[in-house]
Amino acid sequence: MDSIFFYRNPDSAASGDGALAGLNIAIQPNISKAGWPVDAGSRALANFTALEDATVVDRLSRSGAFLCGSTKTSEFGFGLAESRAGEAVKQKIADTELVLDMTGEARLAAAAAGVCGFKPSYGLVSHFGLIGLIPSMETCGVLSSSIQNIRGILKAVAGPDEKDFSLPDESVPDFTAQLINPTKTAIGVPAEAQSDLTDEQRERFRLSIEELSQAGFAVREVSFPEWPLFLAVHKIVGSVEASSAAGRYDSVRYGERAPGAKNWNEMYLASRGASFGTLLKSFLFQGAFFQFQRYTAYEDACRIRARLVADMKNLTGEVDFLALPVSGGASDPNPATLDETYRQFACTAFANVTGQPALVLPPASKGQAPLQLAGPRLSDAGLLSLGEHLLKLREGGK
Amino acid sequence: MQFSERVFCGELSSEDIGRRVLLAGWVDAFRDHGGLLFIHLRDRSGIVQIVFSPDTATGDICRQAALLRSEYCIAVSGDVRKRLAGTENPNIETGPIEVFVTELAVLAESDALPFSVSDKAMVAGAPSAGADHVAEDLRLQYRYLDIRRPAMRDNLMARHRIFRCVREFLDSRGFVEIETPVLTASTPEGARDYLVPSRIHPQNFYALPQSPQLFKQLLMIGGMERYFQLARCFRDEDLRPNRQPEFTQLDIEASFIDEEFLYELIEELTVRMFAIGGIDLPRPFARMSYMEAMDTTGSDRPDLRFGLRFVDVTDVFSETRYSIFRQILQRGGCIKGINIQGQSEKLSKNVLQNEYAREIAPSFGAKGMTWMRAEGGKLESNIVQFFSEQELAELKRRFAVTDGDVLILIADPSYAVVTSALGQLRLHLADRLGLIPENSFYPVWITEFPLFEPTDEGGVTSSHHPFTAPDREDFDPKNLEELLSLKSRAYDLVMNGEELGGGSIRINNRDLQRKIFAALGLSEEETREKFGFFLRAFDFGAPPHGGLALGMDRTVSMILQTPSIREVIAFPKNRSAACPLTGAPSAVKREQLAELGLLNPGGQDVLPGTAEKEDPIDHLSWVSRIGISAAERPVMEEILAGAEALARLAKEKAGSEEPIRTVAPVSNRMRPGTREMRSKLAESGKLLKSAPSVKGNYFKVASILE
Repeated sequence: MDSIFFYRNPDSAASGDGALAGLNIAIQPNISKAGWPVDAGSRALANFTALEDATVVDRLSRSGAFLCGSTKTSEFGFGLAESRAGEAVKQKIADTELVLDMTGEARLAAAAAGVCGFKPSYGLVSHFGLIGLIPSMETCGVLSSSIQNIRGILKAVAGPDEKDFSLPDESVPDFTAQLINPTKTAIGVPAEAQSDLTDEQRERFRLSIEELSQAGFAVREVSFPEWPLFLAVHKIVGSVEASSAAGRYDSVRYGERAPGAKNWNEMYLASRGASFGTLLKSFLFQGAFFQFQRYTAYEDACRIRARLVADMKNLTGEVDFLALPVSGGASDPNPATLDETYRQFACTAFANVTGQPALVLPPASKGQAPLQLAGPRLSDAGLLSLGEHLLKLREGGK
Repeated sequence: MQFSERVFCGELSSEDIGRRVLLAGWVDAFRDHGGLLFIHLRDRSGIVQIVFSPDTATGDICRQAALLRSEYCIAVSGDVRKRLAGTENPNIETGPIEVFVTELAVLAESDALPFSVSDKAMVAGAPSAGADHVAEDLRLQYRYLDIRRPAMRDNLMARHRIFRCVREFLDSRGFVEIETPVLTASTPEGARDYLVPSRIHPQNFYALPQSPQLFKQLLMIGGMERYFQLARCFRDEDLRPNRQPEFTQLDIEASFIDEEFLYELIEELTVRMFAIGGIDLPRPFARMSYMEAMDTTGSDRPDLRFGLRFVDVTDVFSETRYSIFRQILQRGGCIKGINIQGQSEKLSKNVLQNEYAREIAPSFGAKGMTWMRAEGGKLESNIVQFFSEQELAELKRRFAVTDGDVLILIADPSYAVVTSALGQLRLHLADRLGLIPENSFYPVWITEFPLFEPTDEGGVTSSHHPFTAPDREDFDPKNLEELLSLKSRAYDLVMNGEELGGGSIRINNRDLQRKIFAALGLSEEETREKFGFFLRAFDFGAPPHGGLALGMDRTVSMILQTPSIREVIAFPKNRSAACPLTGAPSAVKREQLAELGLLNPGGQDVLPGTAEKEDPIDHLSWVSRIGISAAERPVMEEILAGAEALARLAKEKAGSEEPIRTVAPVSNRMRPGTREMRSKLAESGKLLKSAPSVKGNYFKVASILE
């Protein structure tokens, strides 16, 4: 059980004051908490102790939440290899858990743990103090069995932060629960998102969608012909950003220094070579290829991204929400290569490319698959209300 | 418009009022007064204000003029008018007049500028812009724009005038300008050569000249008698702030002359060059022997604009009770000091002890520093009690101490340590106490250098080069002591602590030259191997000759008082010996190296940056500075194959959309406040806490250069 955690808060749960008093939160070691070891799962940050609180951590603490520790993460939070995200919530050691979502990690971890996982809109939550890889795509995800908890956390952490210059000047949604009227709510199911599902997965997903119809929602199939390009754009843009972002791991300011280098170029080469795992190296190499060898591919990907964002905006203008599988196809649950890792995220990467919010709900019954709901950017409050509405129906409530 | 009729902006004056003129140049600045548009038009000669007014120009021209932007290249014709009283601009030479445009031609448009070119305000009293704050690498990257700035233009024009002065003056003295080759042979002496591979002779190299030394002596043997050249020279030396890999030196050599001839010639030339910068140099230049310079300033390029000369007080302490001094003297050491007159207010005990004695003097190589302050007729210090009354009285006499003076003494067994440390302290104190008068120039000839220096192996080596004539010829080449006492007939011209140039009278007698080589411990065979062709020339009646070389970049920089020599060079290299404009030095194609026979020379060495580039994995590993193990290599090969496929897909699917980098609207933000801020984490040292290697207050890294 202990092995879920990378670090445990030695203090016992202090009952703070505020809206989140009594809430027990786990983070991951790529979210800075002053004084805690924060290695982001990489030797490139070995023995690093956070100097400041991440803005999310600071705001949660101020709202009275208790941070019980950090759970093991994959290297720099990319993919789920060796990650223990979700297990603390599943085992009820923590009420909620914060997991960086750069490809769909928070949502996939939630689905695996059978809990709810929410990826907020890009630009809502400060990046300050988060140790990520893909600045234009990643955002802090929240896992919990209770959507009320997720909403409470978003309420506490979302909004402008003078320490994060990248946050846009947009008004923050009102996270107060909204009443959902199913008959006036259209839910689209993109056909292309299911194209890789096996027959069994397709059946499970169909049952999940049926739940929506039974709840009275206007469910209809919609089309997003260029769906496969989400993953391609993510691969190109994401890896270029990662290659660039990982430049800071230089074995000078933190990390481990490989001994014996005659000059600083050798020092970088050797230290970085020894610090990064093979999967991360693959990702960084792919990025370096687009960065240094085939820059036009990056430009092309940014053009495609513009089109995908616009097309998605049109689609979410036709329907209120989208319903999609969380994972599908014959993906390996323990991916070793970059390709296998990406295959896991075939149904989630779109939201990182577009910056739209996405919510994963656990299956209502054994025959169902976990369900992913998504809305247009900044529809976070409505999306959470939709999720809450569905969970209440399951409990037989109204 | 006919350019043949063009006149220059900066040459217009009140005398031209009423004239119709054709001007051409660049839009330096513009001011729109609704209807009236004022433009500063700039060409090489200066700036004149031109006016677009609906009264004198057609509506078409006024509309066209409204679209002009900074650095558009235009031609106009118009009428010169006297400016209205009160609107004259004292910032520019043509301030009393302006030109009312009747015709306009836009010759070429300009993109938005990376930095402002204009530095002349359009109205009296307004602050002028300027590129002083622009990062130097950006200036160098757009050097052609930088050169449009009047300050840079003036520097280059002044450099031209100085070079012209050199040519005219030397021509008037019978000197002939002769070019010597740039592709030449590598010589065993001196600094590192820049090498140029030969294609015709694979794996053989030319060297770029460090100076035309051998050629100019050969020209003397060739009977040209008086030669000069503004020669480009090259040295592959370590990076220093005010040094360029290539530089221009004025190279001079003359036959049948002596030192006095050269002193007179160079002094007259130097005076004329400095006069171009409005600097009046006193003549004759002072002369100081090397020994005196070392003894009194600790430097062979002394800055004599201020005092603070050393006084030797070794003998004062010959009987001292102060054990540190006694031990130093027992080991044959010396004690020298400086009297810093009237500065005891600025040099408190605290400053002297905690800054100078404890930090600064040790950083200059001294093991300790003794200080005394003169107060109430007595010398005060933390160790004054160790000295006898007699010693203190003699110190006061030697240094002519009066109240308010501060003495600092350096004692060490090594003369070199004493003079070096005290010399650096002398400069440090002069700078700190503001003792260096501004706009003063103190030229001095340093003479009588030692001919030889001792080597660690117990022999001698030439201080200058082995062709420098000694002050006497009757020495025994086996007598080490005698060799070390020989002086050379070399001389350096030093100004304000900087060496502007130097030279020597050369040996023209082959027997004497043999004796020098014998003293250096070189056999006949070795000398032939090293200097063969050159020595052979001396077998054919070499005339007595001598010469000198002046660093022209440094000289021009000093005349124009620019902060760096890069300000007086049109296209200099930056501090990393690179050219941000052209990207030199740069990688070359593998084929080029192959053609030169430089691939895999000797069949074993792999040239860095060549073979690696052939393998895309090694190349990416290098550019991303991520080492790859043998086991990881196949993984990365797959990654690259996949990435190629992705790139093809992206190309195929890319539409005409504008690329986006973020999905959220971009907000531009300015950090509040204008003062620089330092992170609290840096101040508390916390930033260093997780670093793998730290030294003092810094991150420690492997050496930047090998």
